[in-house]
Amino acid sequence: MDGLNASEQREFQGRMEKKQMKEFMTMYSNLVQRCFDDCVNDFTTKSLHAKEEGCVMKCVDKYLKGSERLGQRFQEQNAAMMQSGQLPGR
Amino acid sequence: MSFLFGGGRPQLSSAEKIAAAETEVEMISDMFNRLSQSCTKKCIPPEYREPDLNKGESVCLDRCVSKFFEVNLKVSEKMQGEAAQRGGAGGGMSGFGM
Repeated sequence: MDGLNASEQREFQGRMEKKQMKEFMTMYSNLVQRCFDDCVNDFTTKSLHAKEEGCVMKCVDKYLKGSERLGQRFQEQNAAMMQSGQLPGR
Repeated sequence: MSFLFGGGRPQLSSAEKIAAAETEVEMISDMFNRLSQSCTKKCIPPEYREPDLNKGESVCLDRCVSKFFEVNLKVSEKMQGEAAQRGGAGGGMSGFGM
């Protein structure tokens, strides 16, 4: 970030790390909720059966790959937008 | 956030500068989270037949990001236009601070 001196930079970094940690936890709990909602609908047994487990594994894989792809596209678009001087990244 | 306080550039304290940088990151990450939520919901159906993104899902995600940005831009243009109109006509209220 522009215009911050070294100690401000450090403070800022620290806050960003905290934020990242928080975002990660949020992402994790969203993922659990999403895959649980989409894959587990049968409560005649106490633990996951094979089909549910398979679904959960695929759900997690797919979600992570999807986020990665979204992240890449977002970066590209955001960079393009910043370059042309429009909102929101300034 | 410099587009908000662009003008005279008053001396900001350290805390204010850090807060401004933080707000900027906050805005972008908030936008990403929203986009993520919408595009995942719209593009990835809740049947998980394979662990990879299939062709359709991938293309959908790409286009979804692109359209999300476009909508973002359209809304901002429209709001700026309206703010300018209001400002030009009556003066006084400077509605949207952009």
